[in-house]
Amino acid sequence: MLTRGIDAFGSGLRRNCRIGFFVWLVALAGCTQEPKPGVESKPGESKSALRRVEPGKESGFLQDYSKLKPNEKLGGDALTYVNPDKMKSLHRYVAIIVDPVQVYVSTAADASLIPDSGRGAVAKYFEHALVGAVSDAFPVVDSPGPLVLRLRAALVGIDLGGKVAPLNDPAMTAKPMDRAIVLEKVSVEMELVDSETGERIAAAVDKATLGAGAEVGSENFSRIERYNEAKMAFDQWAGRVREFLDSEHELTGEDAERALQSYQPYGK
Amino acid sequence: MKKFMVPVVLLAAGAALCFAADPSKIKTIQGYADSDICARLMLGPISPERIECSQSTHKQGAAPQIVRLTDNLVFEVNKTKMLKDYVGKFVEATGEPKEKDGRIKLESVKEIDRPNIPPGAPGHELMDARNFRATGDRAKTFEKVRHELAMMPYISEFDFISFTMVGDDVILTGWTVRITNRSTAYNLVKNIEGVNRITNNIEVLPMGSFDMQIRAGARAALQRMLSRYFWGSGSDIKIIVKNGKIILLGRVATKADSDIANIQCNAVPNAFHVFNLLKVAPSEDKKKG
Repeated sequence: MLTRGIDAFGSGLRRNCRIGFFVWLVALAGCTQEPKPGVESKPGESKSALRRVEPGKESGFLQDYSKLKPNEKLGGDALTYVNPDKMKSLHRYVAIIVDPVQVYVSTAADASLIPDSGRGAVAKYFEHALVGAVSDAFPVVDSPGPLVLRLRAALVGIDLGGKVAPLNDPAMTAKPMDRAIVLEKVSVEMELVDSETGERIAAAVDKATLGAGAEVGSENFSRIERYNEAKMAFDQWAGRVREFLDSEHELTGEDAERALQSYQPYGK
Repeated sequence: MKKFMVPVVLLAAGAALCFAADPSKIKTIQGYADSDICARLMLGPISPERIECSQSTHKQGAAPQIVRLTDNLVFEVNKTKMLKDYVGKFVEATGEPKEKDGRIKLESVKEIDRPNIPPGAPGHELMDARNFRATGDRAKTFEKVRHELAMMPYISEFDFISFTMVGDDVILTGWTVRITNRSTAYNLVKNIEGVNRITNNIEVLPMGSFDMQIRAGARAALQRMLSRYFWGSGSDIKIIVKNGKIILLGRVATKADSDIANIQCNAVPNAFHVFNLLKVAPSEDKKKG
Protein backbone atom coordinates (compact mmCIF):
# COMPACT_ATOMS: atom_id res chain seq x y z
CA MET A 1 0.00 0.00 0.00
CA LEU A 2 2.75 2.34 1.08
CA THR A 3 4.89 1.57 -1.97
CA ARG A 4 1.90 2.13 -4.26
CA GLY A 5 1.35 5.50 -2.62
CA ILE A 6 4.99 6.40 -3.05
CA ASP A 7 4.82 5.31 -6.71
CA ALA A 8 1.74 7.46 -7.35
CA PHE A 9 3.38 10.38 -5.60
CA GLY A 10 6.55 9.86 -7.65
CA SER A 11 4.53 9.64 -10.85
CA GLY A 12 2.69 12.91 -10.09
CA LEU A 13 5.91 14.62 -9.13
CA ARG A 14 7.51 13.51 -12.39
CA ARG A 15 4.58 14.81 -14.45
CA ASN A 16 4.64 18.18 -12.69
CA CYS A 17 8.38 18.27 -13.04
CA ARG A 18 8.11 17.74 -16.84
CA ILE A 19 5.49 20.47 -17.18
CA GLY A 20 7.62 22.78 -15.06
CA PHE A 21 10.64 22.01 -17.18
CA PHE A 22 8.84 22.96 -20.39
CA VAL A 23 7.43 26.13 -18.84
CA TRP A 24 10.92 27.07 -17.74
CA LEU A 25 12.33 26.42 -21.23
CA VAL A 26 9.58 28.48 -22.87
CA ALA A 27 10.12 31.30 -20.40
CA LEU A 28 13.85 31.18 -21.10
CA ALA A 29 13.22 31.32 -24.85
CA GLY A 30 10.85 34.25 -24.34
CA CYS A 31 13.44 36.19 -22.33
CA THR A 32 16.02 35.95 -25.08
CA GLN A 33 13.73 37.29 -27.79
CA GLU A 34 14.03 40.90 -28.88
CA PRO A 35 10.75 42.84 -28.78
CA LYS A 36 9.38 43.54 -32.26
CA PRO A 37 8.80 47.25 -32.72
CA GLY A 38 5.94 48.93 -34.44
CA VAL A 39 3.53 46.01 -35.06
CA GLU A 40 0.12 46.66 -33.65
CA SER A 41 -3.14 44.99 -34.52
CA LYS A 42 -6.57 45.24 -33.07
CA PRO A 43 -8.20 41.88 -32.41
CA GLY A 44 -11.09 41.03 -34.71
CA GLU A 45 -10.31 43.79 -37.15
CA SER A 46 -10.56 42.79 -40.78
CA LYS A 47 -8.30 44.55 -43.23
CA SER A 48 -10.22 43.36 -46.28
CA ALA A 49 -11.91 45.82 -48.59
CA LEU A 50 -15.70 45.80 -48.72
CA ARG A 51 -17.08 43.56 -51.46
CA ARG A 52 -20.62 44.06 -52.73
CA VAL A 53 -22.98 41.79 -54.62
CA GLU A 54 -26.40 42.41 -56.12
CA PRO A 55 -29.09 40.22 -54.55
CA GLY A 56 -29.45 36.90 -56.40
CA LYS A 57 -26.43 37.52 -58.64
CA GLU A 58 -23.07 35.79 -58.77
CA SER A 59 -20.34 37.57 -56.88
CA GLY A 60 -17.51 37.14 -59.37
CA PHE A 61 -15.50 35.32 -56.70
CA LEU A 62 -15.14 32.17 -58.83
CA GLN A 63 -12.89 32.10 -61.89
CA ASP A 64 -15.73 30.83 -64.08
CA TYR A 65 -19.43 30.13 -63.53
CA SER A 66 -20.27 28.79 -66.98
CA LYS A 67 -19.26 25.18 -66.32
CA LEU A 68 -21.21 24.72 -63.10
CA LYS A 69 -23.94 22.08 -63.32
CA PRO A 70 -26.72 21.11 -60.88
CA ASN A 71 -25.53 18.38 -58.52
CA GLU A 72 -28.28 15.90 -57.71
CA LYS A 73 -26.37 14.36 -54.82
CA LEU A 74 -26.39 17.71 -53.01
CA GLY A 75 -29.91 18.69 -54.02
CA GLY A 76 -31.16 21.22 -56.54
CA ASP A 77 -29.63 24.22 -54.80
CA ALA A 78 -26.07 23.24 -55.50
CA LEU A 79 -24.17 23.77 -58.72
CA THR A 80 -20.83 22.04 -58.97
CA TYR A 81 -17.91 21.55 -61.31
CA VAL A 82 -15.19 18.93 -61.34
CA ASN A 83 -12.21 19.12 -63.67
CA PRO A 84 -12.77 16.36 -66.26
CA ASP A 85 -9.04 15.83 -66.79
CA LYS A 86 -8.09 12.74 -64.76
CA MET A 87 -4.62 14.12 -64.25
CA LYS A 88 -6.20 17.06 -62.43
CA SER A 89 -8.76 15.23 -60.34
CA LEU A 90 -9.41 15.63 -56.64
CA HIS A 91 -7.96 12.15 -56.10
CA ARG A 92 -4.52 13.44 -56.94
CA TYR A 93 -4.36 15.64 -53.84
CA VAL A 94 -3.77 14.62 -50.25
CA ALA A 95 -3.69 17.87 -48.26
CA ILE A 96 -5.41 21.25 -48.25
CA ILE A 97 -4.89 24.88 -47.38
CA VAL A 98 -8.00 26.74 -46.26
CA ASP A 99 -7.83 30.39 -47.29
CA PRO A 100 -9.49 33.12 -45.21
CA VAL A 101 -13.16 33.32 -46.17
CA GLN A 102 -14.31 36.34 -48.17
CA VAL A 103 -17.59 38.05 -47.40
CA TYR A 104 -19.78 39.84 -49.95
CA VAL A 105 -22.35 42.29 -48.64
CA SER A 106 -25.68 42.64 -50.43
CA THR A 107 -26.01 45.94 -52.31
CA ALA A 108 -29.42 46.29 -50.67
CA ALA A 109 -27.71 46.87 -47.32
CA ASP A 110 -26.16 50.08 -46.03
CA ALA A 111 -22.58 48.85 -45.82
CA SER A 112 -21.53 51.62 -43.47
CA LEU A 113 -23.63 49.98 -40.76
CA ILE A 114 -21.79 46.66 -41.02
CA PRO A 115 -18.48 47.01 -39.21
CA ASP A 116 -15.32 45.32 -40.50
CA SER A 117 -15.10 43.39 -37.24
CA GLY A 118 -18.59 41.94 -37.76
CA ARG A 119 -17.73 40.69 -41.23
CA GLY A 120 -14.45 39.40 -39.84
CA ALA A 121 -16.24 37.41 -37.14
CA VAL A 122 -18.58 35.80 -39.65
CA ALA A 123 -15.70 34.96 -42.00
CA LYS A 124 -13.61 33.54 -39.16
CA TYR A 125 -16.37 31.28 -37.94
CA PHE A 126 -17.08 29.90 -41.40
CA GLU A 127 -13.37 29.29 -41.98
CA HIS A 128 -13.26 27.42 -38.68
CA ALA A 129 -16.30 25.36 -39.74
CA LEU A 130 -14.70 24.55 -43.10
CA VAL A 131 -11.46 23.40 -41.47
CA GLY A 132 -13.47 21.18 -39.12
CA ALA A 133 -15.45 19.69 -42.00
CA VAL A 134 -12.61 18.87 -44.38
CA SER A 135 -9.60 18.25 -42.16
CA ASP A 136 -10.04 14.54 -41.59
CA ALA A 137 -10.39 13.91 -45.32
CA PHE A 138 -7.64 16.31 -46.35
CA PRO A 139 -5.09 17.16 -43.65
CA VAL A 140 -4.89 20.95 -43.37
CA VAL A 141 -1.41 22.36 -44.04
CA ASP A 142 -0.03 25.92 -43.96
CA SER A 143 1.95 26.22 -47.14
CA PRO A 144 1.37 25.42 -50.80
CA GLY A 145 3.18 22.53 -52.43
CA PRO A 146 2.75 19.44 -54.54
CA LEU A 147 -0.39 17.38 -53.81
CA VAL A 148 -1.85 20.33 -51.88
CA LEU A 149 -5.19 21.88 -52.75
CA ARG A 150 -6.23 25.42 -51.89
CA LEU A 151 -9.81 25.91 -50.72
CA ARG A 152 -11.16 29.36 -51.47
CA ALA A 153 -14.60 30.14 -50.12
CA ALA A 154 -16.93 33.13 -49.96
CA LEU A 155 -20.12 33.94 -48.12
CA VAL A 156 -22.20 35.86 -50.61
CA GLY A 157 -25.03 38.28 -49.85
CA ILE A 158 -24.95 39.04 -46.14
CA ASP A 159 -27.52 41.67 -45.25
CA LEU A 160 -28.31 44.14 -42.50
CA GLY A 161 -30.84 43.34 -39.78
CA GLY A 162 -32.49 45.26 -36.98
CA LYS A 163 -30.95 46.97 -33.96
CA VAL A 164 -29.24 44.65 -31.51
CA ALA A 165 -30.67 44.91 -28.00
CA PRO A 166 -27.95 45.42 -25.39
CA LEU A 167 -27.33 42.52 -23.01
CA ASN A 168 -27.14 43.40 -19.35
CA ASP A 169 -24.73 40.65 -18.50
CA PRO A 170 -21.46 41.92 -17.01
CA ALA A 171 -19.88 38.49 -17.54
CA MET A 172 -20.39 38.73 -21.30
CA THR A 173 -17.17 39.89 -22.94
CA ALA A 174 -18.55 39.77 -26.49
CA LYS A 175 -18.90 43.21 -28.02
CA PRO A 176 -22.39 43.66 -29.50
CA MET A 177 -22.80 45.29 -32.91
CA ASP A 178 -25.28 48.13 -33.47
CA ARG A 179 -27.16 46.23 -36.16
CA ALA A 180 -27.35 42.46 -36.70
CA ILE A 181 -25.98 40.65 -39.74
CA VAL A 182 -28.69 38.65 -41.51
CA LEU A 183 -27.89 35.40 -43.30
CA GLU A 184 -31.34 34.93 -44.89
CA LYS A 185 -30.20 35.14 -48.53
CA VAL A 186 -26.62 34.06 -48.13
CA SER A 187 -25.12 31.53 -50.53
CA VAL A 188 -21.70 29.91 -50.49
CA GLU A 189 -19.26 29.94 -53.37
CA MET A 190 -16.15 27.81 -53.17
CA GLU A 191 -13.36 26.68 -55.37
CA LEU A 192 -10.60 24.10 -55.00
CA VAL A 193 -7.49 25.03 -56.92
CA ASP A 194 -4.03 23.54 -57.24
CA SER A 195 -1.99 25.33 -54.57
CA GLU A 196 1.03 25.66 -56.87
CA THR A 197 -0.47 26.47 -60.26
CA GLY A 198 -3.83 27.98 -59.26
CA GLU A 199 -5.58 25.75 -61.76
CA ARG A 200 -9.19 24.97 -60.91
CA ILE A 201 -9.84 21.38 -59.79
CA ALA A 202 -13.41 21.69 -58.51
CA ALA A 203 -15.94 24.38 -57.67
CA ALA A 204 -19.40 24.77 -56.18
CA VAL A 205 -22.08 27.37 -55.64
CA ASP A 206 -24.45 26.39 -52.85
CA LYS A 207 -27.68 28.35 -52.75
CA ALA A 208 -29.33 26.24 -50.07
CA THR A 209 -31.18 28.67 -47.79
CA LEU A 210 -29.64 27.37 -44.62
CA GLY A 211 -29.34 30.81 -43.09
CA ALA A 212 -33.08 31.55 -43.02
CA GLY A 213 -33.90 33.16 -39.69
CA ALA A 214 -30.28 33.24 -38.57
CA GLU A 215 -28.73 36.48 -37.31
CA VAL A 216 -25.37 37.49 -35.94
CA GLY A 217 -25.39 40.38 -33.49
CA SER A 218 -22.03 40.20 -31.82
CA GLU A 219 -18.40 40.26 -32.83
CA ASN A 220 -17.85 37.18 -30.72
CA PHE A 221 -21.04 35.37 -31.53
CA SER A 222 -19.75 31.93 -30.68
CA ARG A 223 -20.29 32.76 -27.00
CA ILE A 224 -23.88 33.80 -27.28
CA GLU A 225 -26.52 31.09 -27.31
CA ARG A 226 -29.20 32.85 -29.27
CA TYR A 227 -27.07 32.95 -32.39
CA ASN A 228 -26.86 29.19 -32.51
CA GLU A 229 -28.91 29.14 -35.67
CA ALA A 230 -26.21 31.12 -37.45
CA LYS A 231 -23.54 28.72 -36.24
CA MET A 232 -25.65 25.79 -37.36
CA ALA A 233 -26.06 27.33 -40.80
CA PHE A 234 -22.29 27.78 -41.17
CA ASP A 235 -21.66 24.23 -39.99
CA GLN A 236 -24.22 22.88 -42.46
CA TRP A 237 -22.74 24.83 -45.38
CA ALA A 238 -19.31 23.49 -44.43
CA GLY A 239 -20.78 20.01 -44.11
CA ARG A 240 -22.12 20.25 -47.66
CA VAL A 241 -18.65 21.14 -48.92
CA ARG A 242 -17.45 17.91 -47.26
CA GLU A 243 -20.39 15.99 -48.78
CA PHE A 244 -19.31 17.22 -52.18
CA LEU A 245 -15.75 15.98 -51.56
CA ASP A 246 -17.03 12.64 -50.29
CA SER A 247 -19.29 12.13 -53.28
CA GLU A 248 -16.36 12.76 -55.61
CA HIS A 249 -14.25 10.19 -53.74
CA GLU A 250 -16.87 7.45 -53.73
CA LEU A 251 -15.67 4.50 -55.78
CA THR A 252 -18.14 3.59 -58.52
CA GLY A 253 -18.27 1.64 -61.77
CA GLU A 254 -14.97 0.77 -63.35
CA ASP A 255 -12.95 2.42 -60.59
CA ALA A 256 -14.64 0.29 -57.93
CA GLU A 257 -14.07 -2.88 -59.95
CA ARG A 258 -10.42 -2.06 -60.52
CA ALA A 259 -9.87 -1.17 -56.86
CA LEU A 260 -11.43 -4.43 -55.72
CA GLN A 261 -9.42 -6.45 -58.20
CA SER A 262 -6.18 -4.68 -57.36
CA TYR A 263 -6.48 -4.80 -53.59
CA GLN A 264 -4.66 -7.73 -52.04
CA PRO A 265 -3.27 -7.72 -48.55
CA TYR A 266 0.48 -8.12 -48.57
CA GLY A 267 1.63 -11.71 -48.83
CA LYS A 268 -1.53 -12.96 -50.53
CA MET B 1 32.66 30.63 -16.99
CA LYS B 2 31.67 29.07 -13.64
CA LYS B 3 28.55 31.20 -13.64
CA PHE B 4 27.46 29.55 -16.86
CA MET B 5 28.41 26.04 -15.81
CA VAL B 6 26.21 25.89 -12.71
CA PRO B 7 22.86 26.48 -14.50
CA VAL B 8 23.90 24.20 -17.37
CA VAL B 9 24.72 21.34 -14.99
CA LEU B 10 21.49 21.96 -13.07
CA LEU B 11 19.54 22.00 -16.32
CA ALA B 12 21.10 18.73 -17.49
CA ALA B 13 20.45 17.05 -14.14
CA GLY B 14 16.86 18.33 -14.10
CA ALA B 15 16.24 17.12 -17.63
CA ALA B 16 17.67 13.67 -16.85
CA LEU B 17 15.45 13.39 -13.78
CA CYS B 18 12.33 14.61 -15.55
CA PHE B 19 12.64 12.48 -18.67
CA ALA B 20 13.72 9.22 -17.08
CA ALA B 21 11.16 6.42 -17.44
CA ASP B 22 8.51 6.27 -14.76
CA PRO B 23 9.28 3.17 -12.63
CA SER B 24 5.59 2.47 -11.99
CA LYS B 25 4.95 2.09 -15.73
CA ILE B 26 7.90 -0.16 -16.54
CA LYS B 27 6.87 -3.48 -18.08
CA THR B 28 8.61 -6.39 -19.70
CA ILE B 29 7.21 -7.60 -23.00
CA GLN B 30 8.12 -10.54 -25.18
CA GLY B 31 8.47 -9.48 -28.76
CA TYR B 32 10.01 -9.96 -32.14
CA ALA B 33 12.59 -7.37 -33.22
CA ASP B 34 11.50 -6.39 -36.71
CA SER B 35 12.25 -3.65 -39.21
CA ASP B 36 9.58 -0.94 -39.48
CA ILE B 37 8.82 -2.06 -43.03
CA CYS B 38 8.27 -5.75 -42.35
CA ALA B 39 6.43 -5.04 -39.11
CA ARG B 40 3.88 -2.92 -41.01
CA LEU B 41 3.64 -5.30 -43.92
CA MET B 42 2.82 -8.13 -41.56
CA LEU B 43 4.17 -11.01 -43.50
CA GLY B 44 2.29 -13.32 -41.16
CA PRO B 45 3.95 -15.73 -38.78
CA ILE B 46 7.57 -15.40 -37.80
CA SER B 47 8.81 -17.61 -40.61
CA PRO B 48 12.28 -17.77 -42.20
CA GLU B 49 10.95 -15.48 -44.99
CA ARG B 50 9.87 -12.89 -42.47
CA ILE B 51 13.17 -13.04 -40.64
CA GLU B 52 14.91 -12.59 -43.99
CA CYS B 53 12.69 -9.57 -44.74
CA SER B 54 13.37 -8.05 -41.31
CA GLN B 55 17.12 -8.40 -41.58
CA SER B 56 17.53 -7.36 -45.20
CA THR B 57 15.34 -4.25 -44.93
CA HIS B 58 17.03 -3.30 -41.68
CA LYS B 59 20.42 -3.58 -43.39
CA GLN B 60 19.10 -1.24 -46.09
CA GLY B 61 18.23 1.38 -43.50
CA ALA B 62 14.77 0.52 -42.12
CA ALA B 63 14.47 1.36 -38.43
CA PRO B 64 14.12 -1.48 -35.90
CA GLN B 65 10.85 -1.90 -34.02
CA ILE B 66 9.30 -4.40 -31.63
CA VAL B 67 6.24 -6.52 -32.43
CA ARG B 68 4.63 -7.65 -29.18
CA LEU B 69 3.93 -11.36 -29.39
CA THR B 70 0.69 -11.37 -27.41
CA ASP B 71 -1.25 -9.16 -29.82
CA ASN B 72 1.06 -8.25 -32.71
CA LEU B 73 1.08 -4.58 -31.73
CA VAL B 74 4.01 -2.71 -33.25
CA PHE B 75 6.07 -0.45 -30.98
CA GLU B 76 8.43 2.24 -32.24
CA VAL B 77 11.44 2.39 -29.91
CA ASN B 78 13.17 5.50 -28.60
CA LYS B 79 16.63 3.93 -28.67
CA THR B 80 17.04 2.12 -31.98
CA LYS B 81 20.72 1.41 -31.25
CA MET B 82 19.69 -0.79 -28.35
CA LEU B 83 17.62 -2.99 -30.67
CA LYS B 84 19.63 -3.02 -33.87
CA ASP B 85 21.64 -6.16 -33.06
CA TYR B 86 18.50 -8.17 -32.37
CA VAL B 87 16.55 -7.60 -35.61
CA GLY B 88 15.12 -10.92 -36.79
CA LYS B 89 15.26 -12.37 -33.27
CA PHE B 90 12.92 -12.84 -30.34
CA VAL B 91 13.55 -10.48 -27.47
CA GLU B 92 12.42 -9.59 -24.01
CA ALA B 93 12.23 -5.83 -23.83
CA THR B 94 11.86 -3.85 -20.63
CA GLY B 95 10.62 -0.29 -20.77
CA GLU B 96 7.64 2.03 -20.64
CA PRO B 97 5.21 0.97 -23.39
CA LYS B 98 2.52 3.37 -24.61
CA GLU B 99 -0.06 1.29 -26.46
CA LYS B 100 -2.03 4.29 -27.72
CA ASP B 101 0.95 5.87 -29.47
CA GLY B 102 2.61 2.57 -30.39
CA ARG B 103 5.87 3.60 -28.70
CA ILE B 104 8.09 2.13 -26.04
CA LYS B 105 10.73 3.89 -23.99
CA LEU B 106 13.36 1.16 -23.78
CA GLU B 107 15.35 0.38 -20.66
CA SER B 108 16.89 -2.94 -21.66
CA VAL B 109 16.66 -5.66 -24.30
CA LYS B 110 17.81 -9.26 -24.21
CA GLU B 111 17.49 -12.08 -26.69
CA ILE B 112 15.27 -15.05 -25.88
CA ASP B 113 15.01 -18.45 -27.47
CA ARG B 114 11.95 -19.55 -29.40
CA PRO B 115 11.37 -22.52 -27.04
CA ASN B 116 10.98 -20.07 -24.15
CA ILE B 117 7.52 -19.31 -25.47
CA PRO B 118 5.62 -22.53 -24.74
CA PRO B 119 2.70 -23.76 -26.87
CA GLY B 120 -0.55 -22.36 -25.50
CA ALA B 121 1.08 -19.14 -24.28
CA PRO B 122 -0.54 -16.05 -25.82
CA GLY B 123 2.55 -15.15 -27.85
CA HIS B 124 3.00 -18.60 -29.31
CA GLU B 125 0.39 -18.27 -32.04
CA LEU B 126 2.50 -15.72 -33.88
CA MET B 127 5.03 -18.44 -34.59
CA ASP B 128 2.56 -20.95 -35.97
CA ALA B 129 1.75 -20.51 -39.66
CA ARG B 130 -1.44 -22.58 -39.28
CA ASN B 131 -3.05 -19.74 -37.33
CA PHE B 132 -2.82 -17.47 -40.36
CA ARG B 133 -4.80 -19.67 -42.76
CA ALA B 134 -8.39 -18.56 -43.21
CA THR B 135 -10.67 -21.47 -44.06
CA GLY B 136 -14.44 -22.07 -43.97
CA ASP B 137 -16.34 -19.21 -42.29
CA ARG B 138 -13.08 -17.43 -41.64
CA ALA B 139 -12.40 -17.35 -45.38
CA LYS B 140 -15.73 -15.55 -45.83
CA THR B 141 -14.84 -13.09 -43.10
CA PHE B 142 -11.45 -12.59 -44.74
CA GLU B 143 -13.13 -11.74 -48.06
CA LYS B 144 -15.53 -9.31 -46.35
CA VAL B 145 -12.61 -7.53 -44.68
CA ARG B 146 -10.78 -7.38 -48.01
CA HIS B 147 -13.86 -5.95 -49.74
CA GLU B 148 -14.44 -3.26 -47.11
CA LEU B 149 -10.82 -2.13 -47.13
CA ALA B 150 -10.65 -2.13 -50.94
CA MET B 151 -13.69 0.17 -51.14
CA MET B 152 -12.41 2.81 -48.75
CA PRO B 153 -12.94 6.15 -50.50
CA TYR B 154 -9.95 8.21 -49.44
CA ILE B 155 -7.23 5.74 -50.36
CA SER B 156 -4.64 7.15 -52.74
CA GLU B 157 -1.43 5.88 -54.33
CA PHE B 158 0.27 7.02 -51.14
CA ASP B 159 -1.67 4.75 -48.78
CA PHE B 160 -1.27 1.04 -48.29
CA ILE B 161 -3.56 -0.69 -45.86
CA SER B 162 -3.10 -4.40 -45.38
CA PHE B 163 -4.44 -6.94 -42.93
CA THR B 164 -4.08 -10.46 -41.78
CA MET B 165 -6.23 -12.77 -39.71
CA VAL B 166 -5.08 -14.83 -36.77
CA GLY B 167 -8.09 -16.97 -35.92
CA ASP B 168 -10.97 -14.49 -35.55
CA ASP B 169 -8.65 -11.60 -34.77
CA VAL B 170 -7.75 -9.07 -37.45
CA ILE B 171 -4.44 -7.23 -37.55
CA LEU B 172 -4.56 -4.04 -39.59
CA THR B 173 -1.24 -2.83 -40.89
CA GLY B 174 0.22 -0.38 -43.37
CA TRP B 175 0.71 3.33 -43.84
CA THR B 176 -1.58 6.21 -44.66
CA VAL B 177 -1.25 9.93 -45.24
CA ARG B 178 -4.73 10.60 -43.85
CA ILE B 179 -5.33 10.10 -40.17
CA THR B 180 -9.01 9.38 -40.87
CA ASN B 181 -8.11 6.24 -42.86
CA ARG B 182 -6.70 4.66 -39.71
CA SER B 183 -9.95 5.01 -37.80
CA THR B 184 -12.16 4.35 -40.84
CA ALA B 185 -10.42 1.01 -41.48
CA TYR B 186 -10.83 0.08 -37.83
CA ASN B 187 -14.53 1.01 -37.77
CA LEU B 188 -15.30 -0.80 -41.02
CA VAL B 189 -13.66 -4.03 -39.83
CA LYS B 190 -15.19 -3.74 -36.36
CA ASN B 191 -18.67 -4.04 -37.85
CA ILE B 192 -17.96 -7.23 -39.80
CA GLU B 193 -19.55 -10.34 -38.38
CA GLY B 194 -17.04 -12.91 -37.25
CA VAL B 195 -14.31 -10.44 -36.34
CA ASN B 196 -13.24 -10.65 -32.73
CA ARG B 197 -10.30 -8.46 -31.71
CA ILE B 198 -8.62 -5.85 -33.92
CA THR B 199 -5.03 -4.71 -33.58
CA ASN B 200 -4.50 -1.46 -35.43
CA ASN B 201 -0.90 -1.11 -36.63
CA ILE B 202 -1.69 1.40 -39.40
CA GLU B 203 0.86 4.18 -39.20
CA VAL B 204 -0.02 7.76 -40.12
CA LEU B 205 2.77 9.19 -42.25
CA PRO B 206 4.34 12.62 -41.74
CA MET B 207 3.27 15.30 -44.24
CA GLY B 208 6.54 17.23 -44.37
CA SER B 209 7.24 19.20 -47.52
CA PHE B 210 10.22 17.03 -48.50
CA ASP B 211 8.14 13.87 -48.32
CA MET B 212 5.35 15.57 -50.27
CA GLN B 213 7.80 16.52 -53.02
CA ILE B 214 9.10 12.96 -53.12
CA ARG B 215 5.54 11.59 -53.36
CA ALA B 216 4.69 13.91 -56.23
CA GLY B 217 8.01 13.21 -57.98
CA ALA B 218 7.70 9.44 -57.64
CA ARG B 219 4.12 9.39 -58.88
CA ALA B 220 4.94 11.56 -61.86
CA ALA B 221 7.93 9.38 -62.78
CA LEU B 222 6.00 6.13 -62.45
CA GLN B 223 2.99 7.45 -64.31
CA ARG B 224 5.21 8.55 -67.16
CA MET B 225 6.79 5.11 -67.58
CA LEU B 226 4.17 2.72 -66.20
CA SER B 227 0.88 4.49 -66.87
CA ARG B 228 -1.08 1.27 -67.30
CA TYR B 229 -0.88 0.61 -63.57
CA PHE B 230 -2.64 3.90 -62.78
CA TRP B 231 -6.33 4.55 -63.22
CA GLY B 232 -8.83 7.30 -62.34
CA SER B 233 -8.82 7.13 -58.58
CA GLY B 234 -6.05 4.72 -57.72
CA SER B 235 -3.21 2.53 -58.84
CA ASP B 236 -1.78 -0.98 -58.65
CA ILE B 237 1.50 0.49 -57.45
CA LYS B 238 1.60 2.03 -54.00
CA ILE B 239 4.19 4.67 -53.16
CA ILE B 240 4.84 4.92 -49.44
CA VAL B 241 7.14 7.76 -48.47
CA LYS B 242 8.45 8.12 -44.94
CA ASN B 243 11.25 10.47 -43.98
CA GLY B 244 12.81 10.45 -47.44
CA LYS B 245 12.54 6.69 -47.95
CA ILE B 246 10.30 5.25 -50.66
CA ILE B 247 8.64 1.86 -50.25
CA LEU B 248 7.14 0.47 -53.45
CA LEU B 249 4.31 -1.99 -52.95
CA GLY B 250 1.67 -3.70 -55.05
CA ARG B 251 1.77 -5.86 -58.12
CA VAL B 252 3.22 -5.46 -61.57
CA ALA B 253 3.08 -7.84 -64.49
CA THR B 254 6.78 -8.31 -65.22
CA LYS B 255 10.16 -8.12 -63.56
CA ALA B 256 11.10 -5.47 -66.10
CA ASP B 257 8.27 -3.22 -64.83
CA SER B 258 9.46 -3.72 -61.28
CA ASP B 259 12.99 -2.72 -62.29
CA ILE B 260 11.73 0.34 -64.19
CA ALA B 261 9.78 1.43 -61.10
CA ASN B 262 12.89 1.00 -58.98
CA ILE B 263 15.09 3.00 -61.35
CA GLN B 264 12.51 5.78 -61.72
CA CYS B 265 12.07 6.18 -57.97
CA ASN B 266 15.81 6.13 -57.34
CA ALA B 267 16.06 9.18 -59.59
CA VAL B 268 13.49 11.18 -57.59
CA PRO B 269 15.18 14.23 -56.03
CA ASN B 270 15.63 14.07 -52.23
CA ALA B 271 14.76 10.37 -51.98
CA PHE B 272 17.35 8.63 -49.78
CA HIS B 273 16.52 5.04 -50.51
CA VAL B 274 14.01 2.91 -52.40
CA PHE B 275 12.71 -0.34 -50.94
CA ASN B 276 11.33 -2.16 -53.93
CA LEU B 277 8.79 -4.64 -52.57
CA LEU B 278 6.72 -4.86 -55.75
CA LYS B 279 5.45 -8.33 -56.47
CA VAL B 280 5.59 -9.69 -59.96
CA ALA B 281 2.28 -11.33 -60.78
CA PRO B 282 1.45 -11.95 -64.43
CA SER B 283 -1.85 -10.44 -65.50
CA GLU B 284 -4.91 -12.64 -66.10
CA ASP B 285 -4.55 -12.27 -69.89
CA LYS B 286 -1.00 -13.58 -69.75
CA LYS B 287 -2.01 -16.51 -67.56
CA LYS B 288 -4.70 -17.47 -70.04
CA GLY B 289 -2.33 -17.09 -72.96
